[in-house]
Amino acid sequence: MKAIAVVLLVIGTWQFGRGAWIQAKAWAAQGLIAHAWSRTLQGAADVKPWGWADTWPVARLSVPRLGVERYVLAGADGASMAFGPGHVRGTSIPGGPGNSVIGGHRDTHLAFMRKLQVGDTLTVERADGARVSYRVAAADVLDRREVWVAKQEGPARLTLVTCYPFDALSADGPLRYVVVALAE
Amino acid sequence: MQTETEKHPRPTLPLLALLALASALGVAVAIALAGVAMLLAAPAYASQSETKEGMLYLRARGADPVAAPLLGTEVLFRVSGPVARARVVQTFRNPHDVWYEGLYVFPLPESGAVDALRLVVGSRIVEGEIRERNVAKQAYAQARGAGQRAALLDQERPNIFTTSVANIGPGETVVVELEYQQVVRYDSGRFSLRFPMVVGPRYIPAAPLQVADAIRITPPVMRPGTEGERTNPVAIQVMLDAGVPLAAVESLHHRIEVKAPSESRREIVLAGGSTPANRDFELAWSPRAAALPQAAWFTEEKDGKHYGLLMLLPPAAPRTARLPREVIFVLDTSGSMGGASIRQAKEALELALARLQPQDRFNVIEFNSFAHALFDAARPADPDNLRAATRWVRALDARGGTEMASALHLALDGADDPEHVRQVIFLTDGAVGNEEHLFGLIRARLGGSRLFTIGIGSAPNSHFMTKAAQLGRGTFTYIGRVDEVRSRMGELFAKLETPVLKAVQVHWPAGGAVEAWPTRLPDLYAGEPVVLVARLDRLEGEVRLEGERNGTAWEARMPLAHNANAEGLGAVWAREKVGALIDSLREGAPEAEVRARVIALAEAHRLVTKYTSFVAIDKTPARAPEEALKLAEVPTLLPEGWDYAKVYGELPRGATDSRLALLLGTLAILLGLVAMRRFT
Repeated sequence: MKAIAVVLLVIGTWQFGRGAWIQAKAWAAQGLIAHAWSRTLQGAADVKPWGWADTWPVARLSVPRLGVERYVLAGADGASMAFGPGHVRGTSIPGGPGNSVIGGHRDTHLAFMRKLQVGDTLTVERADGARVSYRVAAADVLDRREVWVAKQEGPARLTLVTCYPFDALSADGPLRYVVVALAE
Repeated sequence: MQTETEKHPRPTLPLLALLALASALGVAVAIALAGVAMLLAAPAYASQSETKEGMLYLRARGADPVAAPLLGTEVLFRVSGPVARARVVQTFRNPHDVWYEGLYVFPLPESGAVDALRLVVGSRIVEGEIRERNVAKQAYAQARGAGQRAALLDQERPNIFTTSVANIGPGETVVVELEYQQVVRYDSGRFSLRFPMVVGPRYIPAAPLQVADAIRITPPVMRPGTEGERTNPVAIQVMLDAGVPLAAVESLHHRIEVKAPSESRREIVLAGGSTPANRDFELAWSPRAAALPQAAWFTEEKDGKHYGLLMLLPPAAPRTARLPREVIFVLDTSGSMGGASIRQAKEALELALARLQPQDRFNVIEFNSFAHALFDAARPADPDNLRAATRWVRALDARGGTEMASALHLALDGADDPEHVRQVIFLTDGAVGNEEHLFGLIRARLGGSRLFTIGIGSAPNSHFMTKAAQLGRGTFTYIGRVDEVRSRMGELFAKLETPVLKAVQVHWPAGGAVEAWPTRLPDLYAGEPVVLVARLDRLEGEVRLEGERNGTAWEARMPLAHNANAEGLGAVWAREKVGALIDSLREGAPEAEVRARVIALAEAHRLVTKYTSFVAIDKTPARAPEEALKLAEVPTLLPEGWDYAKVYGELPRGATDSRLALLLGTLAILLGLVAMRRFT
């Protein structure tokens, strides 16, 4: 009998620890990245936040109304999005012309997306220190295959992508929540 | 087991109880989880309506599949002997309450001579006129601005065209009719006609090999499941007069209904009337064995000139001891090959591997965003190497870009090895936009190799297949379904393994003015006929052909006197000449000169070319200046069997399973604690 209880406790602790670890490293990493970003602003290029990192900060994104501040990392793959919102390679760099697409997790760095409203201001700080303001123009729930939102044509804008629904437990849903903010 | 439990009945009971408890716990956890997940998910789905405002904006950014005119296409073919004339009727219907300009990117056969365009508005019919491309564009833009209905037909590639229709009023229907002429294909005893219906999404390589007109060859594609009534239905009718008694007629990819008014004639319609525009229509017919034509000469008299078409099938070569071969297989594993195509390609490749002989050498190259070769250099086709290759091929998966240039670099080295016949077998759907760059590469690096293209899938880029094979001095083959692999590959093996007819020369009678295309005849593989189109001032004497096969001379003669009539040969001849002029650009001919010659030819024969377009303008003003005009691209279907996610990728995945882990962990710990209390 005891065996079951022990097994359950071990599994529970392991699962709980895994979940907590994902959250912990997501938030702890942003601290290390902040340091890398300040060096980037001083003129260093592609500063890795820790020795074995395969990503580096490319912009700082903030939402003044929500008091949110995030460091955007290069690449929107699992490896970089564990530590921050990721910039989709091949789309324009945040703060540049064209469409800059940023992906992130709804349960960590981009959880704030559900609170964004049309008209909210987003600010991007670029590696050269310049700041660009954006205003949220639209939000939509789309299928993950609707990659046209990453098209480069059209006005300078940010396109933020996270998973949808926000409160789902599983990470494998087909839906994405997309927010488009136009440069001012 | 049974006896053991009888021997030790005591431990069995607790063991069973343990199992029951464990499974009950499992069920409880599952129910609890499902409940929590549903509770959380339900309000989230409901909140989709909160985002309505944004939806409007996002959909308006060129992605709304509904806000465009609806399109239906009807095609009527009249096949007379070796020539087919097609009338393609595109009906644009505007069910919305705004004025539209519709833009439709569509494919036609790469060898088709498009020589007529009509704009039909109600009972009015306006004939199109051939103009230089930019002149036509300006005339069209002017009419569009003035509120007049107008149609413009441009050629983007020899097999990609664009129809633009301006000022389709709310609730109105505007019809654009175009006609083209082509010579049907004759190969391995079979005639065939191919009508493509959709331009598959093309891969556009990044700089520095920019494809300047990428935007004009990549129409919006409907996501599978969102088409609704928008399937761009195509109705097809074929009036076939083969001129000789027929043994069989078959449609390779569509169900058809066939009527046979006589031995040599057939009337064909699609079963069910129409089909979604998502794959090539291919009709094939074979004459009875006794009636299999060995040589035929068709003529047409037009404006005081004679146009002639010669089709001549050299006798089959006896199979002789073959030279050892070096075969390089190149397999396209890009995203567009995902789904049915990669299965067809792998099956074809495995058949070809099994066909190799021990004295042959081989290698396999696969490419998507990068190219990889199985071996560093070609290896003997011994059982070990073949086994390794088969295993390697089976494990391949289709994803990523189509960097064909790097694969061609690996496969073609410009070398010429007299000891081996070097054959490169290229399996691809040709879904690329940088054809010209690749043709240049093939020309520069071919050397002693021969390039054989195998067009895979439901909508292969036939312009790429035929031109690459022509420049590579090989042949092209199409495989549209898995169950065609065996027969088509069988025909290809016959071509690869029997000697070719080389150095074919044509001698026209002296004294007459004759201009024939092509000027340089290709090497002829088993089952392939000589096909020539000529313009002559008189039909006298005979034409003599000679060539060489396996060291033996070959000769054939054909009297030029009028024998059988075929309409539209003038357009076919002009189209062949345009093709030859465009080819000469690749060999360094000055563009200004080629352009002037193509335009003169196109104006004389009313042909759409790279440099000339059809424009038709209905002078009656339709749209008042204060009414706005919206531009909409007619969305196209994804070719059948393609995998949307493999072609376009997906939006980044924006969630971790940390919450699931936390919840599972918490539940398991709670249950564990409960269990502890109860059982200790």
